[in-house]
Amino acid sequence: MAAYEPSFAQEVFGNVDFGEEIKMCMQCGVCAGSCPLRDHMDYPPRQIFSLIRAGKREEVLTSQSIMLCTSCYTCVVKCPRNIPVMDVMHGLAHYALKQGYVPRKETANFGREFWNQVYKLGRIDEKDLPRRVFFADGLVSGIKSTMNFMDVGIRLLLHGRMKLLPEKKIKGIQSLRKMLDKAEKMAKGGAAA
Amino acid sequence: MKYYLYWGCSLEGTGANFLLSLRPACEALGMEFEEIEDWNCCGASVSYAGASDLAIKVLNARNLALAEAKANYDIVAPCSSCYIQMIKVNHEIKEDPAVLTQVNECLAEGGLNYKGTIKVRHIQDVLYNDVGVDKIRERVTNPLSGLKVAGYVGCQSVRPYGEYDSTVKPIVQDRLLEALGAEAVPFPKKMLCCGSGIFLPEMDYCLELVKTILEDALSHGAKMVSTVCPMCAMNLEMYQDRINKKYGTQLDVPIVYLTQLMAAAFGMDLKRDAALNRNVIPPEGILKEAIG
Repeated sequence: MAAYEPSFAQEVFGNVDFGEEIKMCMQCGVCAGSCPLRDHMDYPPRQIFSLIRAGKREEVLTSQSIMLCTSCYTCVVKCPRNIPVMDVMHGLAHYALKQGYVPRKETANFGREFWNQVYKLGRIDEKDLPRRVFFADGLVSGIKSTMNFMDVGIRLLLHGRMKLLPEKKIKGIQSLRKMLDKAEKMAKGGAAA
Repeated sequence: MKYYLYWGCSLEGTGANFLLSLRPACEALGMEFEEIEDWNCCGASVSYAGASDLAIKVLNARNLALAEAKANYDIVAPCSSCYIQMIKVNHEIKEDPAVLTQVNECLAEGGLNYKGTIKVRHIQDVLYNDVGVDKIRERVTNPLSGLKVAGYVGCQSVRPYGEYDSTVKPIVQDRLLEALGAEAVPFPKKMLCCGSGIFLPEMDYCLELVKTILEDALSHGAKMVSTVCPMCAMNLEMYQDRINKKYGTQLDVPIVYLTQLMAAAFGMDLKRDAALNRNVIPPEGILKEAIG
């Protein structure tokens, strides 16, 4: 059992979205028990919160579990101390990525490309997003992933569930970007590190 | 009954059968829809990888502010992710008014302001509470008699706030299915997550979730699974052959949107209005047996 070591906890409270919420955690483990992907987590949320209190910065920011969240809100509903566990995990994952850690490469690529598209267009282009994610690791793996998902893409296309034209920017894209830039400046932890 | 309809990015593509069936089915019940002009994406559930929480709130507040500036209709968001992302902003503003000040400081960069007056509703909420099951039952011309449907609720359509249904034991979708004449089979995994937005990058783990959900529905007698979320529909429908290959199962279950069943039960055109031809696993056979 590690001793309390407050410096990382302070860092989390000050810089991570919803970070202070973990102060309420009583280590009951209901979050872990309710999570659909708990079996695949190295440290379930309860243990992540405990590691934060113990000052285990590397363990937390490199943990696979902080990016294994499906955003199903079960832990949020079940937590007896009303901690928005999901939001804390998202906050930690966001912070880890900002600090240069990559807890889950594929999910990190997917999430970043998703946001890049929102910022670029104001909308998501369902054809372009997987393409960008697939090719994030170079041409060879890109072609491999594309082949692997060809069947899904073709079936969607044949059933009229793929927009044929590229997604256009929303009209207010410039003003949307200004709003989002401002939000990043005002966000917890300040402008991107 | 006039509403804004915020259908989001998926319903123009992979979830096209949702939007195509939702409009005629709901308009047949007297609902009228208006688009929020120049709406943007809600950010869904994975944007946290690239954006701060405040940026995601501002993204959603822009849509709310655009809507509020024009009229005070409720926003109907058929996609669960769109619904939860918008409603979350409203909840957090209510809990802490300082959030609204922060959000408005950002919106001001684009000349917008949000007062916090717009209500965001799920399509199930509106169907159940504004239209009501009696009116829906009255409109049914071709009841889905004897059709056993597993009403898959999933996650974000009711969790975490439980605005119109229980977050533990939801009943609304089952009541709506029953109003159409179908038999809503109980199945314990109706709220187990399908993997949602991280299905693609975490497919190995998520296939297992979908397998669990579909096997549970089948073992309780379901002939098809209904959903009210484009991600659930996509994840449950498109990868059944992969699950079969990986686990040696024989899944071949049609996944339909609740609104497709509504259009069918209302006697509307199965192709044009119910958009059944857009489903990859064809539901027509089983459905036609029920409606005769």
